[in-house]
Amino acid sequence: MSSNSALQLVNERGWRSGFANLLRNENLEWWGSRRWLTQAGLWLLILNGLVALVMFVTPAVMQVTPDDNAGAMDPISMGIPAFFQIGATALAIGTVILVQGEMVGERQSGITEWILSKPVARPAYFLAKMVAHSIGIFAIMIGFQSTVAYGLFWLANGDPLPLLPFLVGVGGLTLHTFFYLTLTLMLGVFAKTRKQVLGVAMGSLLGGMLLLNIISQLGLITPWSLPNILPALVIQIPLPFATAFMPILMTAI
Amino acid sequence: MVYWEHKAGQKTFDSPKGGKHNMNQSNEIVIQTKGLSKSFGEVKALKSLDLAVPKHSIFGFLGPSGTGKTTAIKLLLGLTRPTNGGGTVFGLDIGRNSVEIRKRVGYLAQHPRYYEHMTARETLRFTARFFYTGPKAEIGDRVAETLELVGLAGKADRPIKGFSGGERQRLGIAQAQINYPDLLILDEPAASLDPQGRRDVLEVMERLRKYATIFYSTHILDDVQQVSDTVAILNHGELVAQAPLEELLVGSEGTVYSVVIKGDPSQAHGRVAGQPWVSGIRATTAEGQTAWQVSVTDEAVAEATLLRLVLSDESVTVTEFGRKKYELEDVFLSIVKEDNNE
Repeated sequence: MSSNSALQLVNERGWRSGFANLLRNENLEWWGSRRWLTQAGLWLLILNGLVALVMFVTPAVMQVTPDDNAGAMDPISMGIPAFFQIGATALAIGTVILVQGEMVGERQSGITEWILSKPVARPAYFLAKMVAHSIGIFAIMIGFQSTVAYGLFWLANGDPLPLLPFLVGVGGLTLHTFFYLTLTLMLGVFAKTRKQVLGVAMGSLLGGMLLLNIISQLGLITPWSLPNILPALVIQIPLPFATAFMPILMTAI
Repeated sequence: MVYWEHKAGQKTFDSPKGGKHNMNQSNEIVIQTKGLSKSFGEVKALKSLDLAVPKHSIFGFLGPSGTGKTTAIKLLLGLTRPTNGGGTVFGLDIGRNSVEIRKRVGYLAQHPRYYEHMTARETLRFTARFFYTGPKAEIGDRVAETLELVGLAGKADRPIKGFSGGERQRLGIAQAQINYPDLLILDEPAASLDPQGRRDVLEVMERLRKYATIFYSTHILDDVQQVSDTVAILNHGELVAQAPLEELLVGSEGTVYSVVIKGDPSQAHGRVAGQPWVSGIRATTAEGQTAWQVSVTDEAVAEATLLRLVLSDESVTVTEFGRKKYELEDVFLSIVKEDNNE
């Protein structure tokens, strides 16, 4: 066997061992295949399709069949909750479904064992997936969709929305989505089957929303109330500090 | 005197020239474990394994299915943590330095799995980048060379999902040795292969032996006899034997000569049995010939004298003569059976 003098040994140590190569590979899964295009199209339909529906189609339908309350519903006050409230829940569900098999699937198939038999630290294996999915989800499912949504709001409103509150809303959306991304990946480390991952993550998301109706204080210490407060932050409805920022802070933690 | 002795439930090997086999010379040892144990709940998968793998050996790690071979391998690679005991690979602790160890190791799992959508070339490129950085072309050259070595050059750009079992196994060996490892650990490398595939794998192992120590688990004893120079036998999670293959095949009954005689052997029998270095003769008769298994205590004298003694009786003809060698299967079954009876 010949030796290749131009090749140098990888010099990653500690938790970073193997990280760069794994991240490159995980990024390739997002950007080297049709995944990004599929996800972009899918979420354009789900999120901005919904926003367009409530802002442009619903008012037109209401004008055809007028009732007493129709005048009170302006497109923006329907579109923003659709994007930030329904969208936050939809993105969380989508993220859970997208990554539910990432850790468990590779562990069950033997790929994890193969990868960890190389000079790879376990945290690097987890973090590479986390970072690559964060980039992909943020760029395609949140960033791109938010840009389109901002354009739709502008179109419906006639004027652009104030940028800062909108960005705060997008930040909250990102935080909420990343919470479920992290939760699902971490569950994948411990769970034995995809069903367990899916069950616990979805249970947390949907069960949490139900629990919130019973014990409203849970909203201060969990991410469950985030979808409800985001529209208010974007529309700039004044909220008590604790109600507005405690869920954000606790979710981030 | 060659013999197997029991020490705390484990048989160790003493060489005929006295002293232990060179496994005790730590600078020549690549893998060393001491009391390495692993339990899964109540189940003891591996019980106090003391292993010493000499440098540049092809070390066969034998045992019936489910005896803890794979568990031991995973412990060596740091893929799972020991319940008790520990070990070193290249002198590095398997618990604390597993990433450093894996930089110098190539591993082939029992049922290797890769990203199915990747091609063989992409898989090897991905694997190589865990070890090397450098120009794309250089990594490409290394990959191409490795594909050539395992005979997959013609299928390098086909997705793995279309690969046969043999092709997957070759790819497994390729990815295991892409970093030119000092130690190759192969878990049942030929188990799922047809005879041709098995022969190919053994050939690759032979080719690689000059570059690396090869530690492989198997239950295919023919393969071990073909390529291994040192062997350890595991049974019920316990090491029951460890020795160089040549010496293991001599057997545990001391030196035995096999003599097949035509004619009446009674006179020769008396003459041979009377020798002080003969400890026993076991005779069987079949098809007009008598076969002796002559156990001796002095190998050198026996080699020089035994045949002459028999032939001094002119009424007999010797049709076969030689030192008895056991098939590995006989030795393996005898050791495992003996261990099961204890």
